[in-house]
Amino acid sequence: MKKLIALALGTAVLLSGCGGSADSDAAEKYGSATLKLYNWGEYVGENLISDFEQEFGVKVIMEYFDSNEMMYTKLQAGDAYDVLIPSDYMIERLISEDMLQTLDLSNIPNISNLAEGVKQLPYDPDNTYSVPYFWGNVGIVYNHNNVDPADVEKQGYNLLLDTDYKGKLYVYDSERDSFMMALKALGYSMNTQSESEIEEAYNWLLQMNDTMDPAYVTDEVIDGMINGNKDIAVVYSGDATTILAENEDMSFFLPAEGTNLWSDAMVVPANAENPLLAHEFINYVLTHDASYDNSETVGYSSSNQEVLDEMSGADGIYAQNEAYLPRTEYAKDEVFEDNPVLKQKLAELWIKVKASH
Amino acid sequence: MKQYRTMALPYIVWMAGMIVAPMLLIVLYAFTDKGNDVATIRFSLENFARFFSDQVFMSVLKRSLFIAVITTAICILCGYPIAYVIANRSEKSKLFWILLITLPTWINMLVRTYAWMGILQDEGIINHLLSLVGLGPITMIHTSFAVVLGMVYNFIPFMILQIYTSLTKMDKSYLEAASDLGANRIQSFLRVTLPLSIPGVISGITLVFLPAVSSFFIPKLLGGGQYVLIGNVIETEFLTSGDWNFGSAISLVMAIIILFSMYLTKKADTDPAANGKENA
Repeated sequence: MKKLIALALGTAVLLSGCGGSADSDAAEKYGSATLKLYNWGEYVGENLISDFEQEFGVKVIMEYFDSNEMMYTKLQAGDAYDVLIPSDYMIERLISEDMLQTLDLSNIPNISNLAEGVKQLPYDPDNTYSVPYFWGNVGIVYNHNNVDPADVEKQGYNLLLDTDYKGKLYVYDSERDSFMMALKALGYSMNTQSESEIEEAYNWLLQMNDTMDPAYVTDEVIDGMINGNKDIAVVYSGDATTILAENEDMSFFLPAEGTNLWSDAMVVPANAENPLLAHEFINYVLTHDASYDNSETVGYSSSNQEVLDEMSGADGIYAQNEAYLPRTEYAKDEVFEDNPVLKQKLAELWIKVKASH
Repeated sequence: MKQYRTMALPYIVWMAGMIVAPMLLIVLYAFTDKGNDVATIRFSLENFARFFSDQVFMSVLKRSLFIAVITTAICILCGYPIAYVIANRSEKSKLFWILLITLPTWINMLVRTYAWMGILQDEGIINHLLSLVGLGPITMIHTSFAVVLGMVYNFIPFMILQIYTSLTKMDKSYLEAASDLGANRIQSFLRVTLPLSIPGVISGITLVFLPAVSSFFIPKLLGGGQYVLIGNVIETEFLTSGDWNFGSAISLVMAIIILFSMYLTKKADTDPAANGKENA
């Protein structure tokens, strides 16, 4: 036993010794050899971090959040990170509150790899503050053995009010996504500020809650649908990609009423301690290999055009997967705008929907 | 005596900084309206009005109290016999059983709750075993059953330990006296042991009821998103809507309910214990 401990200690010393020499080079170049990354859980390629660490002789500390709001709360409390990966509307808010640094695009030459679908996004058209990481839509995954595809196409989101499928659906537990679906089903903009439209959407959701017995879930939806526990789920296209890849009974549909065209992008907060290394990391993520690794592991759509084409192309790993390539240039699809007042209202209405039974 | 008082000073500073100050902040948030900064504070009762006038929040509050009462009751009903049996075993065996009872609490509560998710799921261990004998599947996850089970499982060690302690502290000569005076075992249990162990039950109730009424991750994980208790509402107000004022108001209402129930149990504690001593 003692020998084993000695061996372990020896290895540890050896390893830290190795790291030490690389660290000092990197520390000289970037000011510090540590990158603090704040990311969603299960949202990075399996080798990306270790490859980046090895190539640049640095250490990456990754922490996870499970909602944009949680990230925002921590950031506001003064926690310092070098790179964050929030969503569109949250980036809009961070920009408006001066919480981000402008990016020096000359240090991010790989920005030229960006996919067409994530260029000139409304919240940051010139990539002044952000560089897209993953993107996609929100759509309906359904089991085509138990749900008539004609019903899905005809009803769109109103499928979720069709009592033939009572007790068979998963709904994503987030006020933004649930109200998006209700507002779109009613033919309204998901960025509406009209009280009466929101009221109608609230009633739509109440009706769903009361008549359909839905299960409100977050990431459990992926395993649930892979195991075929339910027949219908409203999910992010990236999760749909994973579900479709694992269960061939499942199909994906983007309702004609329109959907949310979302993107998550890398940003550098104003209080970042190592902005130089942050730029290096952002540039690295845009390389072909890193982006391929990301998209292969996580299943979300790459922000690198070459990778996107390769994966969805005839020989690609997602060639037959209708969820992988996001729908673009569709007039009824929208990007979320930041509106804290509306958001707060929806959050409260959503918990009331869930609590009312 | 005086020099000891100065030794308590660090503790008082700690209490002021870590307990009193956050509580005061919650009170301040609860009684002010949105968009305050330090410069402009506007007091208002709007947060409370909003909470109490809303049918949905009231039913959530009722459901939370109901679940907490059920959990506490089950903890007493199951915990008391367990504590009684353990307290009457030999010294060595007592230690072993108490170790077994406390063992799960060495592991993080969140991890243990995730484990229950795996056990109760539709394709979990129980349903897998049932399918082997051709039964099921039974839906257990995302039901009240799962939530109460998760709470009882997590909180029952507190109840058992409290009752066990009061039972072992009890002077055994009372029981001898009772049997000398002709009481049978049931009578001496009901008139000696039970009243003397009530303080343990009372502190057990406090330790189980408090976390049960405010728990938010057990209903979230085992009850699913559709199982909303008051803790989940508070969590949403702080983390998702970012309405700290309203969240603080609800927290304050809960704190008052809890204080009041502690006062009630404390009162119940002093009465029967005194009676018990008279009877003994």
